[in-house]
Amino acid sequence: MAKLNDDAQWIVMMGFIVSILILFLAIIVAESALVGKTTSESVLEFPKTDIQDIRSMVFQLRWESLTSDPPNDEYKDDIVTLYLNRKNAIVDYTGDPVNKRISIHYYNGITSYNESYEELF
Amino acid sequence: MVNDLGQLYTIEGVAAGILMVVTAYLVISTSTVFTPQETHITDMQLEQLGHDALKLVNTPGEDGTLSILNQSIRNNPPVDFKTPFSQLLNSRIHAGDDTLHYNVTLYYRDGNEVKQKQFADDGSGYYRENAVKVTQLVKIGNDASDPDLWDKIILVEALIWRS
Repeated sequence: MAKLNDDAQWIVMMGFIVSILILFLAIIVAESALVGKTTSESVLEFPKTDIQDIRSMVFQLRWESLTSDPPNDEYKDDIVTLYLNRKNAIVDYTGDPVNKRISIHYYNGITSYNESYEELF
Repeated sequence: MVNDLGQLYTIEGVAAGILMVVTAYLVISTSTVFTPQETHITDMQLEQLGHDALKLVNTPGEDGTLSILNQSIRNNPPVDFKTPFSQLLNSRIHAGDDTLHYNVTLYYRDGNEVKQKQFADDGSGYYRENAVKVTQLVKIGNDASDPDLWDKIILVEALIWRS
């Protein structure tokens, strides 16, 4: 008659533990592919570089054209037209020379960005 | 006859079966088919690298000077744009250069319409590679060699791809 052989229980238990650990690692690997994809999708979707470029240019212009009286609208027309034509984004900015305030608006249908900047010196 | 022998073997068999089924399910659901349309991760890296390179050539070396990009658009005197830009795009830490190519176009406003000028490329034509587009704004004074660009803000658009 066959008898239950209870030898080598340590080996059997270690086998269970190791396989469960491998299972958890597999779940983590499965998640990472999805996370990398969705993260890079959202990074691509957010127009970080466009907003940085506009800010950089507006701050470059603030003393010579933005806050001059009357303001130089040629530069503003350049930026607004180029962004509308090439990047499908609506851009506007205004400068208030008396209070040293600048406001920047950007909207590309998905991301809306508004900034107010005030100099305190 | 039902007896209670071999219980450990039975449990082991059932557990191993469940483990194998779950593992097979995980393996199948993990393997993402990487089609040419699903290149978000490489696109993101390429866009970031390209924007960094273009921004770097659009940054003046020191206070009161003009950037390489700005000087090279003015072309007065002519400045080499291709070498530094290509070097920034293609240098790698380990040996051997990367194989990034570029085609840079200038867009500017003339009245109510947007016009374009070809600016620089590295000589390799663009066919159907997966490309990204990065841009920078550049302000040009009235001393550029091309009078079309005088006193304008120009959109520099670089198409970058890896071959």
